[in-house]
Amino acid sequence: MIYIATKNRPLILLLIILILSLGCRPSAASEDWSRDPKAFVQHFADIGISQILESDNPKTEKTEQFRQLFVEAFDIPAIGRFVLGRYWRQTKEDQRTLFLGFFEDMIVYTWSRRFGQYDGQTLRLETNVPDGKNGALVTSSIIDKAGETFTISWRLRQRYQSLKIVDVIIEGVSMAITYRQEYSSVIRRENGIDGLIDELSSQVTRLKETAAATN
Amino acid sequence: MAHLYIIESSCMVFQQMLCYADWNNITANYAYGDLITGFDSGYYGGSVMCSHYLEETPITRLLIAFIMALFLLGCASKPPADNPDAPAAWAEENDPLEPFNRSMYQLDQGLDTVLVRPLVITYRVIPKPARRAISNVIRNARSPITLANDILQGEGTRAGITVARLIINSTLGIAGMFDVASEFGLPYHYEDFGQTLAAWGVNEGPFLYAPILGPLSGRDVVGLTVDSLTFDPTAWYGWADNPRWHQAVYFGVMVIDTRGNNWDALEELRKSSIDYYATLRSAYRQTRDKEIRNGAPQPIEDLPIFEENEDPFSSIKPAPPVTVTTAINE
Repeated sequence: MIYIATKNRPLILLLIILILSLGCRPSAASEDWSRDPKAFVQHFADIGISQILESDNPKTEKTEQFRQLFVEAFDIPAIGRFVLGRYWRQTKEDQRTLFLGFFEDMIVYTWSRRFGQYDGQTLRLETNVPDGKNGALVTSSIIDKAGETFTISWRLRQRYQSLKIVDVIIEGVSMAITYRQEYSSVIRRENGIDGLIDELSSQVTRLKETAAATN
Repeated sequence: MAHLYIIESSCMVFQQMLCYADWNNITANYAYGDLITGFDSGYYGGSVMCSHYLEETPITRLLIAFIMALFLLGCASKPPADNPDAPAAWAEENDPLEPFNRSMYQLDQGLDTVLVRPLVITYRVIPKPARRAISNVIRNARSPITLANDILQGEGTRAGITVARLIINSTLGIAGMFDVASEFGLPYHYEDFGQTLAAWGVNEGPFLYAPILGPLSGRDVVGLTVDSLTFDPTAWYGWADNPRWHQAVYFGVMVIDTRGNNWDALEELRKSSIDYYATLRSAYRQTRDKEIRNGAPQPIEDLPIFEENEDPFSSIKPAPPVTVTTAINE
């Protein structure tokens, strides 16, 4: 034993340093947020508030930062499938790609118009209950300066590397369900997914223009 | 599908009946005279309210005009047959009267543009604290409706909170202008007879869209009528032979106050949607569901699921195989 230990001393030393450094490194902490629902929501809310809403970056940069955050925190393909619902099976691969792209753009530009409205609101995490087979529903309050609160719930699912957001429920109104019912109405009116994609694409153009005009 | 049949057959019966009625006179009176102002223009023949204690209110006038229009124009549409997945989506939306509702929605949006929005903008001349006080007075004045429905739903604690709020806000809060009770830890909540019917297990009924009143359901039409005729203090005010235009003015302020309070939310919803009607319909039905659940989150089982026994939000890509990094061995 002693022989082995002395022979491999540099290696063991390296191992100890490695283990110690793992314990202190911030990446070890980030492992926690990616698995703990409340910490996950807090993590992304903190980034959103401090790095986007409160920053003095130009708007175009903020929009791109927000897109990165959105793509990282949300499972967009899963949301897209839920939103298209029964029609998802009828869509071809290239239609899906187009739809998901415009859907992402639509949400990014819808929210980027609101960056200027941020006025010191804070997020307070309330409850965390199991949801589905491998998910959680985190409920939070948004509190503004006047002390008024409204409730936002986050539906999360455990994915391969990290949790992902699959729905945001604002005062009881699920964004995923609302888009799903709106789009199924458009698909019926336009007689197919291509019509929906067309309307989404012109909406994105419109939103981009107004986003550029305001601020 | 039973309710569809009933709607369709009653459409026909009513159209027959109305051939013999002086329809133009009725609609003219309701639409331009009685409807909003409540001024007596002589017509009471078709009224469902006859007792002195069930006087019509601006809300019931609107609802009567709306239901008449519904029977005249609103016949049920059939689910589209060309797309195999459309009938299920059609059923999920619960809107068999969609063509009629959409025309009422157009009318409502028109009224909103030419009448309600300009009024709200004018109303905003009043400073925000004063507007807040008016909102609070309206909330306080309608709390008997909440109280009656708390009791009808067997919600003892919530009924107690409503009573305490009514007493505290009417006195300390100076006729309800200040919501003092909230600061005492007695939060506001909203109940109506539509929610009571839901708690009693009554079905939602078809989705409806009425001008001025906005999105509704069949159940909510019954609920609004009952509340507005019985538990609503403005109805009691009408029983006491007060001038009807008092109620009309109050109703007008209530519409403007509600529209003003929802201004930003509706504006955002409108800008972010490509089919605003469908968005409003979905948001309204979800909001009602939340109110019926008294704010509890929607259980996952209630979410529309398109594959059996599958999570509606399951990942569309299977997780990549786990690759174990063996750094130490290297």
